[in-house]
Amino acid sequence: MCAARAALTVIGMEITEANQLEGHRRPAVDHREPAVETYGLTKRFGDRIAVDDVSLVVPRGVAYGFLGHNGAGKTTLIRVLLGLTRASAGRASVLGLPVPAQRARALARVGAIVEEPSFYPHLTGYENLKVAAAVRGPETRARIEPVLERVGLDKRSRDRVGTYSLGMRQRLGVARCLLSDPELLILDEPMNGLDPGGMLDVRRMIRALVEDEGRTVFVSSHLLDEVEKTCDVAAIIDGGCVIAQGSIEELVADDGGELVIECDDTARALALLAGDPTVRELRAEHGALRMKLLARDQAGEVNSRLVAAGLVVTRLEPARRSLEDRFLEMTTRLEVAA
Amino acid sequence: MTLDPTVARQMISADLLRLRKKRGMIALALAVVLVPLVIATGYDVVRHASDPAHYAPAGGLNNFGRLLDLLGIFMGPVAAILIGAEAGAGDLAAGVFRDNVLTGRSRTALFLARIPAAVAVTLTVTAIAFALGIGTTFGFAGGLPTPDATLILQSLAWLALANSVVCVIAIGVSSLTGSRAGTITALIGWELVLSPLLVQAVSLGSLRRGLLDAVLAFLKPGPASGAPVIPMPVAVAVVVTIAWLLILPALGARRMRTRDA
Repeated sequence: MCAARAALTVIGMEITEANQLEGHRRPAVDHREPAVETYGLTKRFGDRIAVDDVSLVVPRGVAYGFLGHNGAGKTTLIRVLLGLTRASAGRASVLGLPVPAQRARALARVGAIVEEPSFYPHLTGYENLKVAAAVRGPETRARIEPVLERVGLDKRSRDRVGTYSLGMRQRLGVARCLLSDPELLILDEPMNGLDPGGMLDVRRMIRALVEDEGRTVFVSSHLLDEVEKTCDVAAIIDGGCVIAQGSIEELVADDGGELVIECDDTARALALLAGDPTVRELRAEHGALRMKLLARDQAGEVNSRLVAAGLVVTRLEPARRSLEDRFLEMTTRLEVAA
Repeated sequence: MTLDPTVARQMISADLLRLRKKRGMIALALAVVLVPLVIATGYDVVRHASDPAHYAPAGGLNNFGRLLDLLGIFMGPVAAILIGAEAGAGDLAAGVFRDNVLTGRSRTALFLARIPAAVAVTLTVTAIAFALGIGTTFGFAGGLPTPDATLILQSLAWLALANSVVCVIAIGVSSLTGSRAGTITALIGWELVLSPLLVQAVSLGSLRRGLLDAVLAFLKPGPASGAPVIPMPVAVAVVVTIAWLLILPALGARRMRTRDA
């Protein structure tokens, strides 16, 4: 099943000018072994295949989005990576250590939230971290106050967690992850249920963890827009198969060479370019012209032709799709193929 | 990941924190042992005050024997079950078990840390009730004989044994089932209904020596009370106690290791 989907895969793990639109700083390329690597990872529950032959490479020092619909297999893959359940086939390594063989050593350098952060509601935020620090080791105790401050919960740390909002619990979950000063954070749907303000807080926190602290953050989500805004690199999973992975820029890149032109008279421009031999496809959409040329460097000629005809061109740029467009396009194609 | 003593101490102290901060559970455990004690003693005090010729004072040695039954065979174990069930399944109920597992810490270590913490809380509750019971034993003794220091110490040790064993069993069963409510229901039913019936079932003969209640009644110091005592060699009592102490907790620990987090 996944073999057919592999044809759609965008492979390109080099981190380029990822997410320039969101103003992300370009992460430095880290040449150590990948933060996460899987090869042919498969997880079956009886006859149902939850994760199907997944091969992933998560580079170090980036925010990596793991995108998929609900039930696509994201959480199952995370559970396999963290040794919470065994893979049916394939292999995986976390921070260069094979899991589950060296799971304990790997997890000592990983912070993770799976599904949702859970706490003892009758304890305060501080006490919950104290309990968590006790399990992690003596050196983590001294990090409780700094991590609470780091996630902006220092002023509410003496309140019972039962009184916290979901956003606060998410931040406390990240604080718990940070107790052991992890190189890799795995956050399963960290934006789930958050209001726009809470999402912005989490997004900023993830970016800071990557850009200011050099950590790798693996974020699973079904919120495409959030992944596009937060992550440098992403993989798209559908029906247990990874159907594409690469930098966000590569994933949203317009491989069809489509141009968008806006001018003062769209109908006239359409008529003018309809018979043009350099234009392969042409259509009017939402008050603009969208076209594909035989070669992209012919865009200047098209512009000259429109200007020479007395049209005022106000916009001429390559069409840029959102990650959502790309995601829907891929999953729709797969549904049609199926 | 090996477990050094500092980490073990921290884990126990963390478990102690989460148990003692569970104020509702602590209040219930205290109520379970203190309320019957106060009611029984109050009833005796009123009765004696209203008709001293017919009713003995509320304190003294006989009352002390009844106190031991209450704290070591009936309500003390109920409190121990409440605390043990919380210790065994509290992290599962809160969803924190998965996060603890994600640290890479051995699941056996996570299980073992629960035991000293829960036993400490159980012993504290028992000690508070025992202190109140001793107060009433001496305070309302009138002219009746009172227990000496040796008997008091033996009784304290016996109560500690009885309630600790029940607490550890409750930790084992709740870790095994993953359910606080199920554990509390099943163990209280066993402790207050089924086990006393089996102890009195003469047809079971020496098989009754395998019952924890029979062993605890046999080991109980001080004056005999209403509960039947089945004679047995001390070695049998020791072996049976150790078996109860090990088997169910071992099953609970095994389930902890294999449970899907």
